[in-house]
Amino acid sequence: MTREQLSITRRDFMRGAASAAVAAAVGLPLQAAETEKRSRVVLIRDAGVLGADGKINAAVLGRMLDQAVAKLMGEPNALAAWKRLVKPTSYVGIKSNAWNRLPTPPELEEIIRKRVISAGVPGERVFCDDRGSKDKFAAATALINVRPARVHNWSGMGSCLKNYIILTPKPSEYHPDSCARLGEIWHLPVVKGKTRLNIQVLLTPHFYGRGPQGYDPRYLWPYKGLAVSLDPVAVDTVAAHLLKTKRIKYFGEEQPITPTSHIQVADTKYGLGVSDLNRIDLIKLGWQKDILI
Amino acid sequence: MEVDLRLRIGIVMIALIALAINPPARGGQSARDLVPKEMLGWKSDGKDGLYDRKTLFQYIDGTAEVYLAYDFRQEFARKFVKPGQPAIIVDAFDMGSSEDAYGIFTFERESGNVGIGQDSEYAAGFLRLWKGRYFVSILADKETPSTRKAVMALGKAIASRIKATGARPKMLAYLPRENLIHNDIRFFHRKSGLDYQFYISDQNVLDLDADTDVLLARYKLGDAKVRLILVQYPAEESARNALDSFVKAMIPDSRDGVYRLEKGTWVAAKSSGRFVAVVFDSPTEEQARSLIGSTLESVAKLLAPRYVPMKSGTTRGQTEPANPSYPE
Repeated sequence: MTREQLSITRRDFMRGAASAAVAAAVGLPLQAAETEKRSRVVLIRDAGVLGADGKINAAVLGRMLDQAVAKLMGEPNALAAWKRLVKPTSYVGIKSNAWNRLPTPPELEEIIRKRVISAGVPGERVFCDDRGSKDKFAAATALINVRPARVHNWSGMGSCLKNYIILTPKPSEYHPDSCARLGEIWHLPVVKGKTRLNIQVLLTPHFYGRGPQGYDPRYLWPYKGLAVSLDPVAVDTVAAHLLKTKRIKYFGEEQPITPTSHIQVADTKYGLGVSDLNRIDLIKLGWQKDILI
Repeated sequence: MEVDLRLRIGIVMIALIALAINPPARGGQSARDLVPKEMLGWKSDGKDGLYDRKTLFQYIDGTAEVYLAYDFRQEFARKFVKPGQPAIIVDAFDMGSSEDAYGIFTFERESGNVGIGQDSEYAAGFLRLWKGRYFVSILADKETPSTRKAVMALGKAIASRIKATGARPKMLAYLPRENLIHNDIRFFHRKSGLDYQFYISDQNVLDLDADTDVLLARYKLGDAKVRLILVQYPAEESARNALDSFVKAMIPDSRDGVYRLEKGTWVAAKSSGRFVAVVFDSPTEEQARSLIGSTLESVAKLLAPRYVPMKSGTTRGQTEPANPSYPE
């Protein structure tokens, strides 16, 4: 049973005093006054991006990113798009994710770095890291936020919203209540206003995990995709929906995972983007087989 | 002499304080003692880790919370390597009690017993088992016939080193057996466990905390899978308050704690003594009431003192306290 089925409807549980937190947690639709804002997410897939041995074809991956970014920005080509995302004077931090079981592919990190340089940013003003570079990220003027999609015990899903947690003085402070306060991080000086692009890496999303390692190799899914957006909430909403849909398809029903309510809270409380799939313009490019969304 | 006496008293006091802070493990075993250094050619990489409640985050940040929600004491991690073969990671957890070792094992249980320890399961290079107060996870980076053999051998070796078996939670005996899905029982204490397994609210509507014992079970009633939550509280008043809290927050328009949701399924909640039982997703009102009723009847029956008939040589019978046990 999905959480939405359990929590049923607003009428069942919200007579009398409204509970916005509950509403956000169960993903109920927002009130009409808040529904005008829309966001765009581009989802691109290519069956050839992974070989039979699971190795990444960097050339295919590069083309995927180029097409997706160009489409997202409404530009005829990727170079024109990247020139709108970063300036030659930018100091660009590529905030990656180094979790050892499913890190951001180094091929993708390098592709992003090259695209940023091609847009006119000098090479010495581009860096890529996950942990251990808080000072550099604090000094950066533009951030490219990129991480693989996977379940996560603290937050339900390793989200773009969560990817900045390591830049805070005490990450564990953001863990309670299924990481409900992650959106707050995006208002901190180290991050605020700097993110130029959010990328959920969907090459092999890890849609369910078990054990102390939080990892079960059976649940790596060769989806062969990337999802990009200017809106971290929207791209995370799409990725969370995909992982949930995959779990339901695989297991026949939703599985126990920590609620991904932080994504809705990032919308409703912190104003960081759109968490309602009905208000996300999802553009699907490339390979459509078993796309599940 | 007076100084010498004071010194001795001081030393004894320091020792007593140290014992209170860090009591020795029952049976004298630490998690480190359980794990061999070598198995079928896989050898320790020499970078063992030993973690406690304060340091577990450093090792398994994202999943530490799951273990900390139980009486977790200590974790020992050892990575095994063999040239040309995938690595194998062993994580051995001292969960403080057999009930909590059982609990963490059930938390992610998927399949049937593979006969190691007191319960175990295996799939795709991943073995999980519990015995006594210990829970053990053994994960191969990749499943091959060789790693499968090594993983199972490690599991058996570790289980054999655990000296004592332990009891499952007593309240398992209260679950009605008919239609119970046995691999789908979860045991935990806090709201975080319920949130993970079966999220019902961002508020702690059932007042769960470290002092509550929670069973989450599923029953197959026709095509429907019905959830039962059974909570044991420290006191009757706590149980009554929790029931009130749940009903007010979740089903305020219920009749006698029973309510039909818009999607057509039924929720029922009731308390008895120190217990609260809640049923979700029942297809009919009758089935919801029946499951709640039989659960709380089972609690009352098993908790009632038993009268033992007169033995020869005595003038009257005796009353024995209840001693429910979970049939294996």
